[in-house]
Amino acid sequence: MTKDYFNFTDKLFAREDIDKKAEALKGIRVLDLSHMIFGPTAAKTLAQYGAEVIKVEVPNQGDYWRGGTYWGKYWKHSNPLWHFINPGKYFVGIDVKKPKGKDLILQLAAKADIIIENFTSGTVEAWGIGYSQVSKINPKVIYASLSTYGQFGPRRYAPGWDLLAQGASGVLSVTGHPDTDKYFKVPDFFGDFFPAYYAAMLILIALNYRERSGEGQYIDGCQAEILMRTLSHFTYHDATGESLGRTGNMDPTMSPSGIFKTRDGKFVAVAIATDKQFQSFCKALSREDLAENDTYKKAASRLKRENALALNKVLEEWVITKDVQELSGLAKKHRFAAAEVMDDVQISQDKWREERGSAILFEDDMYKKLLVEGPIAMLSKTPGRIKWLTRPLGYHNRYVFKKILGLTEDQIKDLEKERVVGTWDYRVGQRPPIYHDLSKDRMFNYEGGEDH
Amino acid sequence: MKEVRTIKERVYSRYLQKKGASKLSDWKNILTQLTTSEGKPEALDDMMVLDLSYANFSGNVTASFLAEAGAEVINIEPPEGDPSRIMSPYGANVKGVGIPYLMESRNKRQITLDLESPEDQGNLKRLVKRADILIETYAPGQMDAWGIGYRQLRELNPGLIYIAISPYGHYTAKGREMAEMPWTDLTSQAESGLAALVGDLPDAPEPYNWPTRAGFYAAGYTSAVGAACGGLVASFFKRRTGEGQMIDIATADAYASCVGFPPTIGYVWKKPRLRYGTLDYGLCPYGFFKCQDGYVAIACFRDQDFRAALKLLGQWKIEEEWKTLLDRITDDVEKVKELNSVVEKAVSKFTYKQINEKFASYSVKAAGSKWRGGGLPVTTKMMTPDEVLQEEHWQTRGTFPKIAHPSYGIVTLPTTGKMTKTPLRVKWISANIGEDNDYVFEKYGLVKK
Repeated sequence: MTKDYFNFTDKLFAREDIDKKAEALKGIRVLDLSHMIFGPTAAKTLAQYGAEVIKVEVPNQGDYWRGGTYWGKYWKHSNPLWHFINPGKYFVGIDVKKPKGKDLILQLAAKADIIIENFTSGTVEAWGIGYSQVSKINPKVIYASLSTYGQFGPRRYAPGWDLLAQGASGVLSVTGHPDTDKYFKVPDFFGDFFPAYYAAMLILIALNYRERSGEGQYIDGCQAEILMRTLSHFTYHDATGESLGRTGNMDPTMSPSGIFKTRDGKFVAVAIATDKQFQSFCKALSREDLAENDTYKKAASRLKRENALALNKVLEEWVITKDVQELSGLAKKHRFAAAEVMDDVQISQDKWREERGSAILFEDDMYKKLLVEGPIAMLSKTPGRIKWLTRPLGYHNRYVFKKILGLTEDQIKDLEKERVVGTWDYRVGQRPPIYHDLSKDRMFNYEGGEDH
Repeated sequence: MKEVRTIKERVYSRYLQKKGASKLSDWKNILTQLTTSEGKPEALDDMMVLDLSYANFSGNVTASFLAEAGAEVINIEPPEGDPSRIMSPYGANVKGVGIPYLMESRNKRQITLDLESPEDQGNLKRLVKRADILIETYAPGQMDAWGIGYRQLRELNPGLIYIAISPYGHYTAKGREMAEMPWTDLTSQAESGLAALVGDLPDAPEPYNWPTRAGFYAAGYTSAVGAACGGLVASFFKRRTGEGQMIDIATADAYASCVGFPPTIGYVWKKPRLRYGTLDYGLCPYGFFKCQDGYVAIACFRDQDFRAALKLLGQWKIEEEWKTLLDRITDDVEKVKELNSVVEKAVSKFTYKQINEKFASYSVKAAGSKWRGGGLPVTTKMMTPDEVLQEEHWQTRGTFPKIAHPSYGIVTLPTTGKMTKTPLRVKWISANIGEDNDYVFEKYGLVKK
């Protein structure tokens, strides 16, 4: 490595410069009609890179994930696990089932570049705010319908979410130990988050195309199908005539590999990908004999089931004689991949993630400090960023209705009286934190004029 | 199954006939457009991508995503090939090419360049002048040391989007310190907080209670989709300004940043979660339970869904004890195990078909009734990949095209990305080392040694 390379890159990605840099999706307006995790995360990804995302919820009810959480733990009258899914959005409360509410949504849709929804197939069409209606008033719109089984095919009307998509796609059936009756789901709603990023990718593909051609289009983001895209098991099955099944904590594409207990009671993952890595790994073990052995020398033979299992045993017996620190040192010295299994607290306290911007201790005007994820992809010229955490239900009503739709205070008051638009009720997750003084909040009471 | 489907269809088409709804024929028209990619334009067919991925599968996948959207992707390997070619379950391969590599060789051109030789560095530069995106996964600083890193290439092509994927990224002190650490999906899963959460409960026997791997490249694909999103955001910016940039992905973190739970939970809870076996961190019952002929999902979000499930499973007698959501949150694992085992026992008496029919007809009745407190119990069966391949739904959607190749025969691949105008699609596979050397060398005027 040339010595100054990291000086160059450290400057290129300097965290303190982010707010001075451009936003790639500035000027792109997203209407986020979705709820829970799948749709909102796709919209969040666009917000991160500068899109203006308007999230529409039902007044006095809101997105169900507002009131969700793990273990009944709330934080400042909100679900702490909701803030990193919806940061930087504008929150409006409109009742789609009232004719005037539907009209408001259509007015916003007419001014949107992208629309995202994740109800069961056909629901938005029944409400009269589906693509068939919106494309008539806004032909350039990119409209993404996200659902578990997709918009067509015999199961299209079946509802679903993360758990069901993991089951229907085959993802659930490949995780766990062989010959047991337990199948572990991939935790933390992977079945929502991964498809959400994939859906964001499809939207960005359509956005790039629109920039070239001026044409909008409709996207069918199918959650279970997107999960299938991550599995090599289908190709494996048709190529070999066999089923791969569950493989415990080893990775059958690398040999040796596995997650093992160390002498100090921690867990370490080790995986050897290439022949070169295997050579140096054997040195670390002082087992040069293995490196010379024809059975193990080349990956094609090393990976065979019985050979992989034999090597995994050698690895397991070696790992238990070492402390985690010592193992990390040896891995670094000999250049093979080893990593301690990190838990929630270790990740939240990881200096590297903080320095990198992968975990951001964000100081919010309303909620104050919270540690939230950063972007996956760090862009040198148009970096992703968080501008604010979430806001209470309907918090941006005045801002959005006045600024984007040109409504007057009196018109908004009438709509409030008719319960077409509205804000929160007392339930946790919808309302602002108790210490927040709404009367002094200029955004909530937006009268017109300067930007947020 | 067929019976149930028609009832559901009837309920939903009733919604579609409501006042204010879209015209059913308009909606059907759009759906028909979704079913085919034939004759349709490709969104990114004006984009050229150079994929230099080496021993890091997430790079190959990133390039695949762009290739499916129409980009011209040139996969550049050293003459001996990318080690990812042989990263395959138990070494399974078709004519020497591993399964994952074969699966991700869609719509690519395969060429070989020796990036350490000045001649081929010249060839790379020739390609870079025309390229929009370059993907590389070498140790941070390696490309720079060869004189073909972002610092040098941006001088040749200021519009270049340079995507670097590595375990700890191309900046920060740790990135520098760990630059030589190789990529693997397993270690990425471990460092992202995933492995810590998969596995049986602490009181289960070893090694079943140890951290366990998600049985596929969960971290690898997450890094790839993040990289593709980043690349497309940068490409949009380039279309507006002409400017390129560098994009950095750290595979040891990508998964944690995708799901977001580990950092925030660690910060707010100040206590790590333990492995929870087949239980859920949120609610109970929420998972797959063993029935007589497989595994079936029982997932109750709301109290009314729980009440419905109890009635249908014949367990109404325990309702009093577990009445509200707060009774069923899983902070007290010992307590919740009781409820879980009641559900387990009840489910084990039925077949999947029985449960599905009970749940479906209940849901339909509840949806049709004016009193909406009836609950909507939802279920599905756990499918294995082999079973998924047989399902009519995915066959109708064309999820698994079979692609023919002169060396590999017929290859089955998953694909997804249905769009009315520019759907993703698999056109061919090309996986032999240097398979397209002649074509690409001639097309771009590269110099043969």
